[in-house]
Amino acid sequence: MCARNSIYTNPKPFKHLADYKLRHGFNTYDSIRNCLKTTPNGRTRVAKHTTKIPRCSFCDRYQGRLYFCLMCSSLWCPSHILLHTQSEKGHEVAIDMDRSELYCCLCCDQVYDPDFDKVVVCNQVKDLPGGSKSKTNSFEASGERSSKRKRLDSGIGLDLKKSELLVSMRDRRAKSCYPLGLRGLNNLGSTCFMNSVLQALLHAPPLRNYFLNDRHNSVQCRKRSGEKLCLLCDIDAISSAMFCGDRTPYTPAHFLYRMDHALLMHSSNLASYEEQDAHEFFISVLDGIHEKESKIRNSGKDDGDCQCIAHRAFSGLLRSDVTCISCGFTSTTYDPCVDISLNMDTSNLSSSNANKPIKPDEKTSVSTLSGCLNLFTRAERLGSDQKLHCQNCQELRDSSKQLSIRRLPLVLCLHIKRVEHSLVRKISRKINQYMQFPFSLDMTPYLSSSIVRSKFGNRIFTFEYDNSNSSAAYEIFAVIAHSGMLESGHYVTYLRLKNQWYKCDDAWISEVDEGIVRASQCYMLFYVQKLLYNKANEDSSFVRISPRRDPFESTAGCS
Amino acid sequence: MKHSVNRPPTPDAAEDQGKEPTLQEIINIKLIESGEKERLMELLRERLIDCGWKDEMKALCRAHVKKKGRNNVTVDDLVHLITPKGRAYFGHSKVVGNQ
Repeated sequence: MCARNSIYTNPKPFKHLADYKLRHGFNTYDSIRNCLKTTPNGRTRVAKHTTKIPRCSFCDRYQGRLYFCLMCSSLWCPSHILLHTQSEKGHEVAIDMDRSELYCCLCCDQVYDPDFDKVVVCNQVKDLPGGSKSKTNSFEASGERSSKRKRLDSGIGLDLKKSELLVSMRDRRAKSCYPLGLRGLNNLGSTCFMNSVLQALLHAPPLRNYFLNDRHNSVQCRKRSGEKLCLLCDIDAISSAMFCGDRTPYTPAHFLYRMDHALLMHSSNLASYEEQDAHEFFISVLDGIHEKESKIRNSGKDDGDCQCIAHRAFSGLLRSDVTCISCGFTSTTYDPCVDISLNMDTSNLSSSNANKPIKPDEKTSVSTLSGCLNLFTRAERLGSDQKLHCQNCQELRDSSKQLSIRRLPLVLCLHIKRVEHSLVRKISRKINQYMQFPFSLDMTPYLSSSIVRSKFGNRIFTFEYDNSNSSAAYEIFAVIAHSGMLESGHYVTYLRLKNQWYKCDDAWISEVDEGIVRASQCYMLFYVQKLLYNKANEDSSFVRISPRRDPFESTAGCS
Repeated sequence: MKHSVNRPPTPDAAEDQGKEPTLQEIINIKLIESGEKERLMELLRERLIDCGWKDEMKALCRAHVKKKGRNNVTVDDLVHLITPKGRAYFGHSKVVGNQ
């Protein structure tokens, strides 16, 4: 049915099972098909007798794990199944009744067989309400996947190699300078939120390459719009300023005023010495870039297919599955996103559980990024006040919702929600809890393919849109950290260039040890696909040639 | 279903002839028959995830597999390893009844 994916294939063929299959073929699998029962939450159980309670043939036990012998349909508990195998030759393989997973009595271990899993999965898909619909959800056409794959390669204009025509290679490391592109930004009055976002954006490999490749040409832009510059022109100017070699702090005044103007409708005045939220600003910048691009191309394309640089870099696709608790009917929707906002996994950390003994190897005492991502993709039961209309039951039902990532972006921006709203006291509080995050991130467990597959239990079966490509591997390149309180705090950006970390604190740039970065209070994390990260790191430093500047002009010394 | 002649005698069967099922057993049976047991189990699973119990058990299993080697661990090993720890997690020294 589907191509075999090496990740999910049992590494060594299991001897006992192979013998068994040789002898009995698929007859037994077919016969148990009728005994499989799917519960609304998606588990498949073996339920042969609907009237009698399954009990161990030896000790009459009915609780805990029970195994169903494939040959003679007798039932055994783990303690006594060996008796059965010893007394009956050939009765080695059994099924765990609760989980529909194979067990080999000779090895006393779980075993896997793709053919068995195929039977279980097909049965489960058939049984769940909306059977044909969920079939398309799980088994999407591979055609869709291959066309979207192109996005994962560095697209046109994002490949730094092409910029060789426009740049000259010069090694500036002889003076032990900071890498090119590092330059402080002056604070124009509580604008650290803007500076920190700019530093991260300008060093995101797709955006950095876009501007260095002169993909947005101010001269042409001016001609088109009649002597007026646009937001992208402003960012282009900042990018030039960052990469020109001048180390004196730069003042992004035009950009600030442009963004201020753009946001006037949202009634927030940026150039007013007030603190703003870096994440909100980040979203506004992406919106601004998108609007500008869609005006140029006159296209009304939605975010999913948009080719503006903001979306090409940051746009991903989220999948949301809402399942009816009563019947199991699942409705699936897809929404594009440019970042992921994560709640902190603080629920495991509170000492509210008085009965829990203190353990020396307490692992759940630190909030981690994987904990937050797990929380994000966890199936969440919606409250009874949030009943949804189930198409199958035709009435309002309790439901559970689960999010997963259908398509990962080139640049993954993770926003850590550090604001806690207390409805009772009607105040907002900042969560200062430390959160641990990795420099290398594997997003595979949070993909829709992984989440959806886990609904079927422990299977070897390959789903059609399992992605075996390595595009789920990410490397961090920027961290926006916040210190202080909700109303008055300070943002800094840590940038990773060629495996060295730099702290960008408004106008001050300094080299820092990675320990400092790990210990910081992260607010926004920027990861880029590993392939792009490696590419970005391998080229030597360069100078951007612009018609206005003499490339041989001497630069200011390094601080 | 073929009965093997070598099948060992069920030891408790003879004794159970006159034994009344306990209240606990009756309740349990009724719960299973009505399907409520399944719903309770599902709720229990959710709660165990929410409070971090499942993550803790997973971490224990991972550590054990790492120590012993992936190919030297069976499901039974893991069950025997984490069952006492899983039960002790909530501070009860002795658990009566269900597994």
